[in-house]
Formats: sequence, structure tokens, C-alpha cells
Amino acid sequence: MEMLSAFFMVFTHPQLLMLVGLGTLAGVYVGAIPGLSVTMAVSILISFTFSWDVHPAIALMIGIYMGGVYGGSRTAILLNIPGAPSAIATAMDGYPMAKRGEAGTAIGVTTVMSFFGGFIGIGVLALAAPFVSDFALGFQPRDYMLLAILGILLVGSLSGGSLVKGIFAGAFGIALGAVGMDPLTFTERFTFDLPVMRSGISFIAVMIGMFGVSEALAQLHHVDTVAVKQKISRIVPSFGTIRKHLPLSLQTSTIGVIIGALPGTGGDIAALMAYDHAKRVTRNPEREFGDGAIEGLVAPETANNAAVGGAFIPMMTLGIPGDAVTAIMIGALFIHGLNPGPMLMVDQPDMFWFIVGSLVVANFFMLIFGLTGIKIFTKIVEMPRAVLIPLILLLSIVGAYAVNNSITDVYWMLGFGVLGYFMRYYGYPLGPVILGVILSRLLDDNWRRAIISAKGDFGLFMQGIVTSPLSLVLFIAVIFIFVNQTPLWPMIKRRVFGRGKAAE
Amino acid sequence: MTSTPTASQTASEAPDVAAVAPAAPRPQMKRKPGEAVFALLVALASAGLMWSAYDISGFESLSAPGTVPMVTAFAMFVAAVITAAQTLRLPAMGGSFLREVLPLNVVLMALLLLAYGFALKPLGFLPTSAIFLIAAIKLLAKRSWGFTVLVSLASLIGIYFVFRVVFTVLMPAGIVPEGEMIQFFRNLLSKGQS
Repeated sequence: MEMLSAFFMVFTHPQLLMLVGLGTLAGVYVGAIPGLSVTMAVSILISFTFSWDVHPAIALMIGIYMGGVYGGSRTAILLNIPGAPSAIATAMDGYPMAKRGEAGTAIGVTTVMSFFGGFIGIGVLALAAPFVSDFALGFQPRDYMLLAILGILLVGSLSGGSLVKGIFAGAFGIALGAVGMDPLTFTERFTFDLPVMRSGISFIAVMIGMFGVSEALAQLHHVDTVAVKQKISRIVPSFGTIRKHLPLSLQTSTIGVIIGALPGTGGDIAALMAYDHAKRVTRNPEREFGDGAIEGLVAPETANNAAVGGAFIPMMTLGIPGDAVTAIMIGALFIHGLNPGPMLMVDQPDMFWFIVGSLVVANFFMLIFGLTGIKIFTKIVEMPRAVLIPLILLLSIVGAYAVNNSITDVYWMLGFGVLGYFMRYYGYPLGPVILGVILSRLLDDNWRRAIISAKGDFGLFMQGIVTSPLSLVLFIAVIFIFVNQTPLWPMIKRRVFGRGKAAE
Repeated sequence: MTSTPTASQTASEAPDVAAVAPAAPRPQMKRKPGEAVFALLVALASAGLMWSAYDISGFESLSAPGTVPMVTAFAMFVAAVITAAQTLRLPAMGGSFLREVLPLNVVLMALLLLAYGFALKPLGFLPTSAIFLIAAIKLLAKRSWGFTVLVSLASLIGIYFVFRVVFTVLMPAGIVPEGEMIQFFRNLLSKGQS
């Protein structure tokens, strides 16, 4: 009963309902406008919703998240510019359709499919999360530690670019998270004897710097790019086509949920994998993939929205974010005094059901906004970057300042903005940094708990890992990702393969 | 969701999927201007961090406060050294550091941001932001003063209304009598907020 009332909370409070709607609308535009990312928007918003109650704050962020993952497809179809990384695959078939004048159909299919995928994701979240959290209650500290490492490594290795740079970024994040007083022994860590450093670095400043300022600075390279005009009259959602693609969308939604639920991987990877899957299973597409196949729209769009629900599973049950946006939401929950993890599901299940309810509402809003308002949409997307970038920068400053009312945070933000600019330019992924900052505490605490319970003996600790099936699986996964990306992997493969040949 | 791919694209280019596809991380073939220096600096900083981490508690015990920092700093250092070695091996792409990596726009905007930080407390949010927006938009859009001022002030009013009044974010008032203005808006909105 309580569960139901928590689930329907968002439906019965007009203010919350409105916030989810507003968030979704804003998210569609944020996702669609190249240069604005959902991660950026959510990280700036955390600081603005700081003084709010937790429910409205979360409602707004969920709207933005859901709308943003969808919104990227709009510009991908119309302009061949994916507004968000999760829409990269959508552009491959969406844009050819738009070139043939079928942009309306493309947007219609995309919207309905995103809605469908979104629901699958939410459904799995609602059904699976309680079980996962029950299961997670039995997790040992070492399992949490391994999960955290796994998450950071996954982001590092999958977000494109080299794993080495990903590892660097993740470790950098963990180090940033450790700055200040150690909460257990009050030893100063990485403070360089500076009083400013003693209270640690505000992770919001790091986040806004890395995702807001650095992105805006990087966009300055393209400030003169003229926005491409696109004419579009109406959207025709063709439900006949949609029925035809239901089986495929079920498969790709499943891919989306699973990828989303893996710690550290989100909609962008889910979309690309689903696209790849669709390419393999579709035998006779009406059009070739890359030439405007509807399957090429269905797959990534169902998957990336399904990944939203999926990403909440590890976040709510383990306190380990599914992607960068959920990492930021964990930060938001921390700020509001909640501690995501299996105990949250036990102590405050209503929070979980509230989030599920908000996701459902956001999904409906996404459908509504997706099928309407296309004319205003094209106007707003054409907003010149020369105006957009200063506004993003101003919002970043206000956001960084607002959390602690401190100018120091603004300087931190600027510093990380410039650093992030260079890291971005030289191909260091920024996602692992944020994941590292968020997970630093969890990693450190659980390592110390684990090693203390092993009486400070590393051998005993390793024995614990090897004898517990879960720890062992996680440990092997960590090692696998690691080895998989090093030159060692082809060597091992050749060895094994070669030996097999020799035996024949 | 770590980066927006459009950052490196222009409108006419096709989305460069290979660059972001998870399965095929494409090795970068040329060294960008300044990349070697950056990689070396990063390695150097990591080494410094390693020393600083050792300084926390040394090799006292595995559960000491310095253990995780030491392992992390070590991981950073190793990764940075490998990256630096890989980077140094690449042929240089050529091109000037200032033009490619730090064009005038970027430097000027960063300086404007810094100036904003200095001016925020004494001047207050509204004047500082107005000056910032006007300067930045004039600089980037290169349009007439009328357009610049109009767009800047209109967006500032929008931002101010949304964040100061709706989100109740506190910003330094500085020289503007903000309190009374806010109260005026609050009274207007008081029915709307529950």
C-alpha cells in the first residue's frame, strides 16, 4: 500500500507532475541542442535544486534525463548532428530518411519507440531492483570495492579512446575524491598543507567544470558554424510500421536494459550495440542500413531509453552509478541526506517507488512532447552558439557558486574547466573522473573494511575473493577488462589458439 | 555520456561513429600540438601526487588512510607514463599550439570567466553577469551593439527570474538593491508555490 502511494505520489502532486513535465520538456531541448548535454544540465541543476526538498529535485532531474536521452535523436535525424552521444547510431539511418523528406516518419517512429523502450527499462527496474537489493544485502565490502573498480574501468574502456587514459582519468577522480580529511582517522590527504584543501574539493565544482565549462570552451572552436536550416511540416507516427518492429524493439530494449544496468555503461553504448544487433538480425530490410532503414532507428532509440531504467538499477540497489548522469544523481541524493545502496531500498522503499513513478510520468511526457511542437523546436535548435556558450558559462558559474555560496568553488570549477578542456582535447575521457570522484569514498571505505576483516592480511583478503563465487566473478571481470585492452590479450589469444592448432 | 561528439564536428560532417564506437577504439595516429608537453606534465604531476600519497601514512598498514591514495596515485603515474611514451612515439601533427589548441576565443573566454570570479563579490551578480554576457556575446557573435545588449539583458533577466526567484539561489547582491526586488517577485509568486 505504501509502495503504491509512493508510486502515485508524482501523479497526485500537481507540483511534482509539473516539474517532471518541465524537466522532460527542457530535457528534449537540452538533448537536442548540440553543445548542451544531459550530463551538463543535470550537474548544473544539482546546485540549483540544492535548497529544495528531495522529491521535487529528483523529479526535475528525472524529467531532464528521460527527455535528454530522447532529444538527441531529433537533431540526429534533422541535421545529422547527434545532440547527445546516445543518438549517434540514430543519425546513421535517421538522416538519410530526412534527406528523402521522411523526417516526419523518422521522428514519429523514434518517439514511439523511445517511449516503448523507456517502459521496458522502467518495468525491469521496478521488477528487478528489489531482488537485486535483497541480493546486494549479502555483498561483502570487497564486492563493493570490486564493483566500483569495475564501473570505473568499464567507463574508461568503453567510452572510446584508450584504456590507459581511461584508467588515468578514473584514478584521478578517486584521488580528487580523497582530497581533504580522511573521515575515519582525520589524517589530511592530498591537502599540500593548504587550508583550502582541508574540507575537500566540492564534487559539484569538479563536475560543472568538467562537463559545463570545458565543453563550452571546446565548443568555441566551432562558434562560427552556421546552423543548418531544416524544413519540416508535420510528424506522422505510423503505427503500422511500429507494430511490425515490435519483436526487434523487444530485443533491443533488452540489450538496452542490460547495458544500462552494468555499472558505468549507459545509453550511448547501449544504442550502438543495439544498432549492431539490428544489423545482424534483420534479414531483409526495406532499405539498406545506413540508407534510412527504419530498423536502424528502432534499435538505438529503444535501447538508449531502456538503458535509463537499467541505469537506475545499480544506482538504487548498490549505490554504484550506471552512467555519468546517475553518478550525478547519486551526488544529489547524498546532498539531500540519502545514501543510495541496498539499505535505502530497505529503509526508504518509498524513495525508490517515487523514482519509478517519476520515470513513468517522464516517459509519458516524452511521448507528448515528442509528437508536438516541432516548429518551435527547429527554431530553438538554430540558436547561435555565440549566444548559447556565454549562457552556459554563466549558468555554470551560478551553479558552482550556489552550492556553498563560495567563490572558491567558482575558482575550482574554472580550474577543472580548463583542465577538462585540455583532457578532452587530448583524448582523456572525462566520465571516469566523475565516476571516480563519486565512488572514491565507497571504494576507500570498503577496501579498508575488507582488509580489516581479513585482519590486515592481503593473502587472507585474496583467499576471500577466490572462495566467494560473487567476488570471484567480479574479480575475473575486472582482470578481463584490464587484460582485454592491453597488448597482452592478442598474445594470450595467439598462445591459446596456437596451442590448439599444435594439438591437432 | 561522457562527451558530446558534436564538439568535434561541423554541421556538414557525418557523425564519426568509429571515433566513439565502443568495439573499435581507433588509435590516434598523429600527435596534437602540445600533447607531448601535456602528457609529460601529467606524468610529472602524478609523480608528485605519488610522493604526497606516500606522505599520508607511508607503508604503515594495508588499511591505513594512505593506502588507497597511494595505489591510485601509482595507477595514475603508470598510466601517465605509458600515455606519455605512446604520445612521444607518434609523429607530430604540426600546426601552432596557439591556433589549434588555444585559439584567441578560448583564452579570452577563460579570462572573462576569471574576471567574473573576481568581480562577483564586490559588484554583485546582476552587473557582473550583464557585463560578462555583453562582452562575451559581442566577442563571439560579432553583431551590432544593439543586438548584443538586447540579447544579453533579455537572457539575464530570464536567468535571474528562473534561478533567483524560482530556484531561490542566493547570489551576492553587490551594489544592486536586490532584496526589495526579490520580495516583489516573491509576493507575485507566493500563491504559485506550495
